[in-house]
Amino acid sequence: MHDRPHDQIATALAEGGVASSLVAARQPRRARVWDSIVRSFHWSLVAAIALAAATGYLAGASWIDIHVWAGAAAATLIVGRVVWGFFGTTHARFSDFIVSPKTTLAHARALIAGRSERHRGHNPLGAMMIVALLLVTAALAVTGVLAFGGVLKAGPLAFVMTFAAGWTARQIHEALALMLLGLIGLHIAGAIFESWRTRENLVRAMVDGRKEVRPGDHVSPQRQAQPLLAASVVAVLFAATAVIAWTLSLLPGHGVPVAKVDPVYAKECGACHTAYHPSLLPRASWRALLAGLDNHFGEDASLDPATATRLADYLAANAAETADTLPANRLRLVDAARPFTITATPFWTRRHAGIPDAVFASKAVRGRGNCVACHADAGSGRFYPGNIDVPDEATP
Amino acid sequence: MKLKSISIAVAAALVTASAGALADPARQAILDGYAAKAGTKPSPERGKAFFLAAHGGGKPETASCTSCHGQDPRSAGRTRAGKAIEPMAVSVMPGRFTDPAKVEKWFGRNCNTVLGRACTDAEKADFIAFMASQ
Repeated sequence: MHDRPHDQIATALAEGGVASSLVAARQPRRARVWDSIVRSFHWSLVAAIALAAATGYLAGASWIDIHVWAGAAAATLIVGRVVWGFFGTTHARFSDFIVSPKTTLAHARALIAGRSERHRGHNPLGAMMIVALLLVTAALAVTGVLAFGGVLKAGPLAFVMTFAAGWTARQIHEALALMLLGLIGLHIAGAIFESWRTRENLVRAMVDGRKEVRPGDHVSPQRQAQPLLAASVVAVLFAATAVIAWTLSLLPGHGVPVAKVDPVYAKECGACHTAYHPSLLPRASWRALLAGLDNHFGEDASLDPATATRLADYLAANAAETADTLPANRLRLVDAARPFTITATPFWTRRHAGIPDAVFASKAVRGRGNCVACHADAGSGRFYPGNIDVPDEATP
Repeated sequence: MKLKSISIAVAAALVTASAGALADPARQAILDGYAAKAGTKPSPERGKAFFLAAHGGGKPETASCTSCHGQDPRSAGRTRAGKAIEPMAVSVMPGRFTDPAKVEKWFGRNCNTVLGRACTDAEKADFIAFMASQ
C-alpha cells in the first residue's frame, strides 16, 4: 500500500468512497483487546517462569529459595488470572474464549483448509493453550509445595509430607516442568504462526494491548470488568493463603530430628572432627564404627567403656532410621566396604562431584569431612540446600 | 612514665601467672606420679626430643607428635580432620595436664597412634615437664 503511486492515490481520492477505505487500510483502527491486567499478568508470568526454570535447571541447589519464591509468584499470578477470567474485561474472560471441542475442531479444520478465521481475542486453539498453560503451571506449584515439604522439609506442608511422598511429587514436578517447556515452545510457535497467518504482530498486541479491527472478525459481546470485585477476591484468597501457609510452615517438619545433640557425643567426637549428626548414618554403621575405635580412620580413638556405652545408646536412638530428612534417607545407603565413611556413600559422592579438590583443600574448608564449612545447618542434620554457602576464599 | 609502669605491671602479672601455672598442684601431682613410677627425674630436654622425634611404629600418617600438634607447642595444632588443637604449652594453656583421666586418655590414644605402643612413665613425665617449661 505504501508504495502505491501518487497518481493512483489521486484517482482513488477522486472516487470518494474508495478513498475512506484506503485511508482505513493505511491506518487500520486498532481496538483495545488485552487490558493492562492481562498484559502485566502475561509478562510477569514470563519473568516468574523464566526465573523458576533458570534456578531449577541451571543454578545449583543453593538457589532453592529463589526457585521457590519464583514458583510462589507464578502461582499467585495464576490465581489472579483465573479470578480475572471471571470478572475481567471482554477478552480476559474464560467465557470469551473457552469453547466446545466441536467449535475447536471446526476452527482447526478451517485453518487447515486455509479459510481465514480471525478472533480478536484468543482463537479456540489459542484458548486450549491458555488453559493448558494455566493448568500445568498450577500443577507445578502444587507438586512444588509437596516436594519442598517432603524432600527438603520446608514450606507449608513440611509437617505432614514424608520423604517418599515428596520424592514422588518431585518426579512429577520435573515431568510437568518439561511439559511446560514444551507448551511454551508450542505457544511461541503458535503466536508466530498466527502473526504470519493474520499479518499482525501478536507480540506487539500483548505489549500495547491493541489488535486491528477487521471486517469479518469474530466479535464477542462486550463485558464490563469488575475490577473492585476481582481485587477483593484476590486479596482475600491471597491473605488467607499467606496466613495459612506461613502458620503451617512454622510447624516442625515431619521426621526432622529435634533432639539436642548429646553433649558427651559432641565433646568426644568433636575433639578431633565435626560431631556428625547421628541421623547421617544407619545404626549398623554406627555399631561398626564404635567397634573399631582403636583404629578409627588411622588413629586410636578408644573410649572408656562407660562413655562407649552411652554413645552407642545415643547413636542407636538417633540414627538415620529415626529421621526422614533427605540426608538420613540417602546416606543410610552406605558403601558396603566403608560402612561409616559418609564421604564414600554414593549420595555424598554424587552431590559433591562438581566441587574441585582445591575447595576441600582450602584453609576455609580443610577436608571433605568438615560439613559445616559450607553447610551452615550441618549440626542439626538438616542440610537445607538454601543454607549452602561455599566460602569465597575456598573457591579457586 | 605511665606507659613504662603499665608495662612493668603487665610483665609482673604475666610472670606471676605463668609461675602460678607452672606450680599447679594437680599437674605437679600427675608429673610426680609418673616420675615416681618411672624412677627417673623428669627432663624437659628429653621431653622436647621425644615431642619432635619421628617415631614410626605407629600409623604412617602420624609419625610424630608434631604431625598434629605442630612444631611449636605454643601454637595451635590441627587434627587430620582439620580441627584446631589448642596449644600444648602450659604457658599458653594453663589447664593442660591437670586432669589425670584426660591425660591418661590422650597418652593412651596418641602413643598408640604415633608409636604403635603405650608410652613409658618416664616418657610421659618428660613430655609433661617439657610442656610445663614452654
